[in-house]
Amino acid sequence: MNLILGGPIHHQVTGVPLSWYLALSGVMFLIGLLGVLIRRNPLLLLLAIELMLNSANIALVGFSRYWNVSDGQIFALVVMVVAAAEVVIGLGLIVAVYRQRLALDVDALSRLKG
Amino acid sequence: MLITTLAWITLGLPLAGALLLSLWPHEPERALTRVVGVGTIAIGFILTVIIFADLLSRNPSQRHATNALWQWINVDGLRINLAIFIDPLSVMMMLIITGVGSLIFWYSTEYMAEDRDYRRFFAEMNFFVFSMLLLVMAANFFFLIVGWAFVGLASYLLIGYYYEKPSAVAAAKKAFVINVIGDVGLVLGAFLIARTFGTLDYQAVFNAAPTRLPAGSFTAEMICFLLFVGCAAKSAQIPLHTWLPDAMEGPTPVSALIHAATMVTAGVYLIVRCNVLFHLAPYASDYIAITGAVTLLVAASIAIVQEDIKRVLAWSTVSQIGYMMVAAGLGFYSQAMFHLLMHAFFKALLFLTAGVVIHALAGEQSLNRMGGLYRVLKLASFAMLIGCLSISGIPPFDGFFSKDEILASAMAGGTLGVICGIAGIIGAAMTAFYMFRMYFRAFGGTEPEGGYHPHPHMPGLAMTVPVGILAVLATFAGFLQVPWGRHLIDTWLAPSIPAQSTIQPSASVEWITSIVCIALAGAAIWLAWWLFAAGPERRLKYANTLSGLRGFLLEQWLFDPVYESVIVEPGRELGDAAIRSAEPDFTQGIVRAASGATMATSGVLRRSQSGLVRTYAFAMIAGAAILGIIVVLAR
Repeated sequence: MNLILGGPIHHQVTGVPLSWYLALSGVMFLIGLLGVLIRRNPLLLLLAIELMLNSANIALVGFSRYWNVSDGQIFALVVMVVAAAEVVIGLGLIVAVYRQRLALDVDALSRLKG
Repeated sequence: MLITTLAWITLGLPLAGALLLSLWPHEPERALTRVVGVGTIAIGFILTVIIFADLLSRNPSQRHATNALWQWINVDGLRINLAIFIDPLSVMMMLIITGVGSLIFWYSTEYMAEDRDYRRFFAEMNFFVFSMLLLVMAANFFFLIVGWAFVGLASYLLIGYYYEKPSAVAAAKKAFVINVIGDVGLVLGAFLIARTFGTLDYQAVFNAAPTRLPAGSFTAEMICFLLFVGCAAKSAQIPLHTWLPDAMEGPTPVSALIHAATMVTAGVYLIVRCNVLFHLAPYASDYIAITGAVTLLVAASIAIVQEDIKRVLAWSTVSQIGYMMVAAGLGFYSQAMFHLLMHAFFKALLFLTAGVVIHALAGEQSLNRMGGLYRVLKLASFAMLIGCLSISGIPPFDGFFSKDEILASAMAGGTLGVICGIAGIIGAAMTAFYMFRMYFRAFGGTEPEGGYHPHPHMPGLAMTVPVGILAVLATFAGFLQVPWGRHLIDTWLAPSIPAQSTIQPSASVEWITSIVCIALAGAAIWLAWWLFAAGPERRLKYANTLSGLRGFLLEQWLFDPVYESVIVEPGRELGDAAIRSAEPDFTQGIVRAASGATMATSGVLRRSQSGLVRTYAFAMIAGAAILGIIVVLAR
């Protein structure tokens, strides 16, 4: 727990402490999560998911800085690529749904439940 | 080192031939099939001769070599190598397999020429030779069993070669099932060996046997008895003999190679190979001798009434293997091998000549529709006469020397030996009778009513030459081993058979046995001539007076009907009863219960599938949160 809250640590870090990064990340994640749970518009759903992904990115970059290893930053880049691909597919689906003149409401789009 | 390399090549060539022929994308040119099929075996024979010469040039105690390609199995306490063992015994078997095999393959090129499945025949025959070589060259019981099972498979495939014929398919199945009974015995015997000695390697087992296994102990008797179950099935000894006569459904070269010269003698080979073990098991050995004596008499009596030329020869094979079993059971192992060798020559000769007749008569096998063939098939008639004289034990043909040696030795081998010897002498007379009955009915007398349609044709070169070579061998090979003079086979095999019985029949026993045998065989031949050639009407007259006995013999001592009613029928009824009672409620019930439970569970669970993405997301988050709490609490 010391590691996260900023007690005695292995590396001397100057500037913003790790706990701030993680707090920001947590807040963003919760906002995104709430968006996913509350919103019904698929476009906003995508936005909320994007928010969650980026909160994870912030945590990754923060840890990367903290340990002074670049792995986390590289992984953040990978997450961005994945997010971009996901958005492409998600937007494509939304456009396809819109063209079918269906309501843009994820609750209404539940015919595949069987 | 050289000879083991050559031996590996000898073993590998037929396998390569079988693979090449069977994997060829379409039916290859017949010439190619011939070259591959016959060539691999012929080269194998040449290599075997080189191995033989190499061993011959060595000191007798140095005449063995073993070589392992790689380790096959390594489990706790048991290591098995893919290894071959070259010694006088295995080289003798290799010479028979590749030598007689080459002749029969050569013969087949013409005999099977009309067949549409030319390459299948040669592929399966090549596979058989590979399996048989593996069986005799294996350096441990494991690969012996592998070869043993492979020859069973090859035999199954080749008996059922004409798969459109229901009788051939049934015969193949029967052969396979009975051989599996034997395989079970053999495998159990190998288990017992592995448990007793901790190894399956021949040399290790045989070296340890005299110290680790007390003579006459229960373990020794049990090992030998279980091994003999395998031998009895493979070598068609009572009570597991009924498959061999049915196996004649296969093509004649198959009968000659597999069901006369090589595979069915594998049981004798195994007993001789394990002579050290059988020496330690007097009761099992006695049982083998008794089985052999009973088998040779029963089979000979059945052969007397067979109407199918190949079935006469099949029963004579069963009977002749009975002689080998008598010799092996009494401890006269090298005599058994001598008879095995001689039998390979004269029985291959007899089968191939029968094949010439069948070929000439366009597939006719019944003695009823033969007769007077000596006018049209002079060479075949002559070859068949040599074969018949040989198997009847008339000097100087080879069967005389080997059979006489067994009988004379048996006569000197104690009470059981004398009983077996007398059975053998009676059997010899019966042999002479049924062989010449077949000879006179096929070649002597007059042509059947209406003559032959189409006219019998002479065989070509590829069929004539192998028959000729075998006839020469059957005539002169007996001089390899002559009483008091030469003991080439005994001397050659001595390093492989440390447990060979030391009993030597005295000169008077030798003479008396020989003279009695020849006299009885001569009388039997005369009787056959009197019944079947001099006055064919006598045959029908006496057949009617003895119709009860004749019917019993035609039923083949009722073995098949008894097996049918004692084993096959109850088995079938058990299956039917299970289908009627156990299947609907028990087996089907379990299946229905399982499917019903699945349906009921899914009926409940499907309600959770709402189609609302938010619910799913919430469930996911909630699950992750619960897991996280558990992880934190568990610290």
